[in-house]
Formats: sequence, structure tokens, C-alpha cells
Amino acid sequence: MRLNQALTIINSRREGGESEIYYLACGFEPLHLATLLRAHLLERRTGQKNVEVRHGVYGDLRGNIESAARSPAIAAAIALEWSDVDPRLGVRSSGGWSDEAKADILESCPPRYTHLESAIEKLATRMPAAIAPPSLPLPPIGNTIRAQSSVFELELEQQLAAFLLRLSRLPGVRVLQRQRGETSGLDARAELLAGFPYTVPFADALASSFVKVLCQPTPKKGLITDLDDTLWSGIVGEIGVAGVSWSQEHHTQTHGLYQQMLGHLASCGVLLAACSKNEISTVEEALARKDFFLKPESLFPVQANWGPKSASIALILKTWNIAADAVVFVDDNPMELEEVQITHPGITCLRFPKKDATAVWDLLGSLRDLFGKPLLMEEDRLRQASIRASAQLQELGAEAADPDFLRTLKGTVTLDWGADSSDKRALELINKTNQFNLNGIRIEEGDWRRRLENEDAVLAVASYEDKFGPLGKVAVLLGTQHGGKVKVSHWVMSCRAFSRRLEHHTLDGLFQYSNAEEIEFAFAATERNQPLQEFLRSLGILADGEGSQRISRAAFRERCGALPHEVSSPASKLPVR
Amino acid sequence: MNMNNVTERVARCFSGVFPDLRREELARASTASLAGWDSIAQVTLLSSIAEEFDLEFELEDFDDLVSYALIVDYLERKSIDG
Repeated sequence: MRLNQALTIINSRREGGESEIYYLACGFEPLHLATLLRAHLLERRTGQKNVEVRHGVYGDLRGNIESAARSPAIAAAIALEWSDVDPRLGVRSSGGWSDEAKADILESCPPRYTHLESAIEKLATRMPAAIAPPSLPLPPIGNTIRAQSSVFELELEQQLAAFLLRLSRLPGVRVLQRQRGETSGLDARAELLAGFPYTVPFADALASSFVKVLCQPTPKKGLITDLDDTLWSGIVGEIGVAGVSWSQEHHTQTHGLYQQMLGHLASCGVLLAACSKNEISTVEEALARKDFFLKPESLFPVQANWGPKSASIALILKTWNIAADAVVFVDDNPMELEEVQITHPGITCLRFPKKDATAVWDLLGSLRDLFGKPLLMEEDRLRQASIRASAQLQELGAEAADPDFLRTLKGTVTLDWGADSSDKRALELINKTNQFNLNGIRIEEGDWRRRLENEDAVLAVASYEDKFGPLGKVAVLLGTQHGGKVKVSHWVMSCRAFSRRLEHHTLDGLFQYSNAEEIEFAFAATERNQPLQEFLRSLGILADGEGSQRISRAAFRERCGALPHEVSSPASKLPVR
Repeated sequence: MNMNNVTERVARCFSGVFPDLRREELARASTASLAGWDSIAQVTLLSSIAEEFDLEFELEDFDDLVSYALIVDYLERKSIDG
């Protein structure tokens, strides 16, 4: 994006009413970076609120980070440069580059990083914070030629890497990849003139990266892969199980790379399934090969038949109980991709470019972007196993809904009432759940923290475990209590937890915890929240359309029915109301 | 440097940086008359004009080009010289 384009975008959205506030913390004059950041945020958030980018004062990065933490911003972008770590590493300083000065720089950086880390840690308890590592070149003060690293430079890089590593482990902090351009992003003239160190193209790339990291799309949940000439090289039905390959030895390493990528995605909690036009017995034999990079149980379900792939994919989506727009389908055959795309318009179809190794490498990068998330959680690891358990329940049909049957599962519902704003899983559930969702309203991370700071806030996070294994945290209810009434603004439950009466347990727990006489729901119908609507109807709550729907304690008791599971609350977080 | 429609293109740059500036006020606009035309706005404005006309300003230009008229005059002289 060019500067004038950014100004045009900003001016076209001036009459936006209320603004979302972001904070840009840097030690230089924010100038074009602030302009470009705002324009990229506006582009990413098309049709939503206006965007305001606030910033602090020149030359005080730490103070600006502290100021960001006190601001009403919903997220912060921190642009760190070498001159923030030690001014002698910048263009505007005259502190000297003698051996003594260099030794002093190396000595003074670690405490400086410690102070910055402390400020960033505090900031990240209030809002998500993205930090860009220094990308401008160090002053040319090495004893070596520029193509050779000096000890001084490497020591600085080592200190920086240790600092960034510590930051990356802090909840709420996201460290950007270093900007890599063909030319240096330094504009020494602008730095000397106005205190702004970047060329416009570099500032644009940095602003774009900040927005990608702070406004990440909802990650995809599942990947369905073709087998022949995709997961492996060759047509297994023609050349046999021993004939297909995925190794360097057979010049089919790209398929091996793809298998390894799928194994990595599975370890991150991505659901994997196979869809192939083949005999199922042949496929099962091939998937059982010992040199396969994927654990056989990673692919579930495996649909191998001679029908259209769109039909097989429909069955996989039903088993997973997720919508097509949360899924990626990979196949080498453009015709198959088109057939699937027409039937499932929301699905992301990607071609496996079997004859182009560079394109395969790029495909793996695209998969990282589609499935990447800022933080991995315990629930990600449990997902595949719980989908299998849910499939077993589904196979039981109506029997599975019978409370007597549910009791045989020996389930335990854990209701955690602690309003812990650092619980990323709770916010993730609210922002990615569609079917059992009170109104479809999402919450920004900064807004989430503000809501939980409210002393009237009520937050319930429900976890579930039964003889099939743990599902982890699967439901979240958020609201506020006003005397004898609880107003529920958000309520979601993972589709993996359907048919277990967790929703009944949650409301029962809420009545007990709050001691309220009435619960009011900020309900709104969405395209996908039929499961939630059906539940509300079953309790007689959803009677007169949208808006606030209510149920009294007495009415709930009368209509709730059996509660088949044991319920526990963490001892340290027992009800205090 | 493409110098077609200098005044129109400079006006567009002014509008990008000072969106509240009315067209009829443009000819008289200067750092003295326009409250929002501070040193930060000056850098943004001249960067915007540099991008529009594909040119680079000298450091001293940032001190000298302090009104719409001076900027247009500067660009027209550049056009004749160039």
C-alpha cells in the first residue's frame, strides 16, 4: 500500500461513529507507520467500526508501552528498533562507537531488555500485544566487512533472541517474524529530518505484518486429503500398496513432506480425514504401511468409495460436526476440487501441485497460515480423540440422548467460575463456535479483558470428561449479575460436547452459583445456531422471537429433566456470591 | 517527473493530509493559516507529494515549502527545469 492510498482509505472512513482503538508503541515518530497501520486495520475490518491509532512520545518506548497499558486500546503494536535498546545503535546518536562504548552497549542491553519485558508483560495482561523485532541494520561498526558478521553483532543478536524467546512465552504476546526485504528498510534522511526511520514500503510491510498478527482470521479446524498422487505418489489401485511412495529415494519426497506436514498439523489438534476414489480395503492396507509418516489413527474418518467426493466430504463433515467453511480440502485433480467446491461453497480447496516441488513447499506454508493460531491449548490435543468418542455416541442414535445411557458414561462436568481473563481457551470458544451460540457475537481480546474486570461479571467455563476420555474445556457462559437476575451476553458450547446435557448442567450450576431467581439471555438467531435455538425451545425460553429471553429458577427446575453427570467446581473457585 | 495537472494533484495531496480543508481555502493555505499544518503534517504532506510526483525533496525544502502557493511554484519550476 502506498502512502496516498492509505490516506484515501482513512479519509473515506472518517464518518464511522465509534472507533476501535489500537496503540502503536515505538521510540521513533510514528508518522507513516501509524497512517499505514490504520489503513491496513480499516481494510481488514471492512464494514465494521472506524479505527483510531494512538501513540506516545518520541524516544520513550518503555514509557509508551506503559501508556498503552493504561489506554482503552483493544490491542497494541510495538515496533522495537536497536536505538530503543541503546541510542548509540541509532542514526541520531553521537555517543561514540569506540571499543569501550561497544563493551558498554553489550553490558547495558540486558537490563534494558528486562525493563521492556516487565512493561510488555503488564501490557499483555490488558490487551494482545504484537512486537516487531529490530529490522533496521546495525551501525556499520564491526571490524569485519559487511558480508561477515562481527562478534559484537552476534552478541547483540544473541541477547535479542533470548529477550524475544522470553516474550514469546508470555500469554498475550505475539512476536512478529523479522521483516526480510531485498533492501534495507532504513531511510536515514527521514530519520534525521523527522525522527522516522523507515522507507514507506518498509513501513507498509511492517504495518501489514502487525495487522496479520493482531487480526488473525479464525483458524480452520479440519483438513480432508485425497490419497492417490497427493498423500502418496501413484495410483494405489493400479500399482499396489507396495508401489506407492513418498520418499527421496523414489523421487517422491514432496509427498513425504506433505505427510510430515499433516502429522505436524495433527499434533496441533487439526482434524484430518481422507477422501479417495478407491476400494476401502486397499486404502486401509496402504495406510497401515510401517513407513507412513502419519499415525494411522490420525486420519478419521477415511472415506474410500467410487461415489462423488462431495458426498464423501459431506459424511466427513457430519462426523466432525463442523461446517464446510472450517475445512480445507487438498487434491491433485482440479476437476475433483471443482466438484467439491460447487457442492460445498464454503470449503477451501487447494490443489496439490505434485510435479512442482517449490509449489508444494508454498502449499505447506499456506497450510501453516490457514491452521496457525497464537497459542496451542490442551483442548487442541484432545480434539481428535473426542471426535471419535462423539462418533461412537452418534452411532448409538436416539439411545445416546437417554439420561440412563448418559449415566453409564460416568461423566464429570467441571464448572469453573473464576473470571480468569488470561484463559485463552474460553475466548477462543466464544470466537469460533457457531452452532450452540447464543447470538454469534464475537469479542475482541482487549474487550474480553475489560468485561471480566467488571465486578458484576459472571463467567462459567465448563469442562467435561467421561469414560471415553476428556473433552477439555467445551462450554463458556459470560454475563453480568444484577441482584436476583443474571444477564447472559454470551453462551457457547463446542459441537464435540453435544448430546451430553452439558447445557442443562451449566444452567443448573449458574442458578446455584449466582443464587439468582431469573436468567435472561441476549439471544439472536443466526444462520447456524439452530442447536442453541432447539435447546431454548425445549426449556420454553424461546417463545416470542429475538431479544432478551428469560427463564425463572422454578421454570428451569420444572423443565430441566435429568442431570446425569457428576458436577465439580475447583476448590479455590467455589461460589462466593 | 510527470507534471501534468500539477494544481489538481497537489490539491489531492492536501485533501489527503488536511481532509477538512475547503477547496476555496486551498490557495491561501500555509503553515501560518492552517492550525493542523505542524511539523508532522509537513512531513506527511511532502511525503505524499513526493510519492504523487515521484520526486525527492531536499532537507531544506521541508523548511522552505510552507504554503500551497510555494509548493505549486516549486513543482512548476521543477517541471520547467527538468
